[in-house]
Amino acid sequence: MSPAPLPSARRVVHSHSSAGDPARLRVVDPDGYADWEAVYRENIDRLYRLMYARVGNRPDAEDLTSEVFRTALGPLRLASSKGEVRSYLLTTAQTVLASHWRRTLGLPVTSIDPESDLAALAEPSKTEDPSDAPQRAGKILASLPDRYRRILELRFLEACTIKEAAQAMNVSVSNAKVLQHRALRMAAKAGLELEQ
Amino acid sequence: MSDRRLSSFLDALVAGRRPGAFKADPEDLEVLRTAIALRTARPGDGTPDEQFVSDLYQSLTEQADSSPATNVHPLRRRRTRTALVAVAASVALIGGTFAATESFDQSPANTTAVGVPHGDALRTGTFEAPNGEVLGQIVAYNGHPSWVYMNVGVAKSTGTVMCKLQLNDGSIVAAGTIEIHSGTGELSKSIPVDIGRLRGAQLFTSTGAVLASATFA
Repeated sequence: MSPAPLPSARRVVHSHSSAGDPARLRVVDPDGYADWEAVYRENIDRLYRLMYARVGNRPDAEDLTSEVFRTALGPLRLASSKGEVRSYLLTTAQTVLASHWRRTLGLPVTSIDPESDLAALAEPSKTEDPSDAPQRAGKILASLPDRYRRILELRFLEACTIKEAAQAMNVSVSNAKVLQHRALRMAAKAGLELEQ
Repeated sequence: MSDRRLSSFLDALVAGRRPGAFKADPEDLEVLRTAIALRTARPGDGTPDEQFVSDLYQSLTEQADSSPATNVHPLRRRRTRTALVAVAASVALIGGTFAATESFDQSPANTTAVGVPHGDALRTGTFEAPNGEVLGQIVAYNGHPSWVYMNVGVAKSTGTVMCKLQLNDGSIVAAGTIEIHSGTGELSKSIPVDIGRLRGAQLFTSTGAVLASATFA
């Protein structure tokens, strides 16, 4: 995969010599990162959350987050501002996610927009889940008929297997699958209407 | 996308497993998006695991120290880790609705459905083909009941693979069939023995030929 374009460097790296210490020192902008560890520590949590919201499972979210850092950290210019570094990480994440969907399902199921998703990376990290997914899911589910809502709640929110969901709803497994399929189609329509 | 593939994708998503790869149908795009959106509304997996953060940090440190030509490599623990997560998911599912509800009600910081077992509670092995190629992993978990989980990857294959679990004395304690879809398949099964007595497992093709063998560490 080709790395995303590098952000342009804004600041000059200065060389200083102090008595008995010829080490080269770099001027660190308060709005910049001191080293790659700082880049990692400040962005790993947010980047993972963003990836998880796009793929819906931990194994893929972890692998894709890893891939973003592996791809981005090598060519990263620490002389760039935090905003530029985040933007670079997001552009890399966009490419990594697009490649993931192309490889696995052959379609861009979800995507990252470096511009509109920048806020997700710029907001301070919170201990609680900052995602609006529960609210959005709640709105979608609320718009569905009772049985459609219930099958999706059992499956996606309560982690029931299709067999457990079928038992809970007192229907056969085949009926539960059909119910789930129809409910998802209706939920997809409701989701689209919510976005408009 | 066929209903079966869509069902498999949804099952994996619900269980917190990595969904398999396949050629999706454009008309199912919104359904897939909606399923992912609903799944991410369940608290728990949306927060990065501390071990993952620590492992990746370590791996990136090594990457920074290595030459550019060799600086891209997967985490060494990845395959085993995936298997362990899948085991945790499988065990969680056996717990049924009660366990799932417990998980759902927990705070985001404590919502791993089932902790990954440690020490004597867990044994792992790697399925290797006669030519040395790694085809999958097997994990046995000692509990009440004990469980075994395995995943197999056979490139560009479909059909079934038979698995037989062997005790130290050579007897077969359990057998099962793994359905291979798009080259991958998995199986979880309860076993009526102490996992300390297990020697390993063998995979067989539908013709009875040995596909791969694993010996528990």
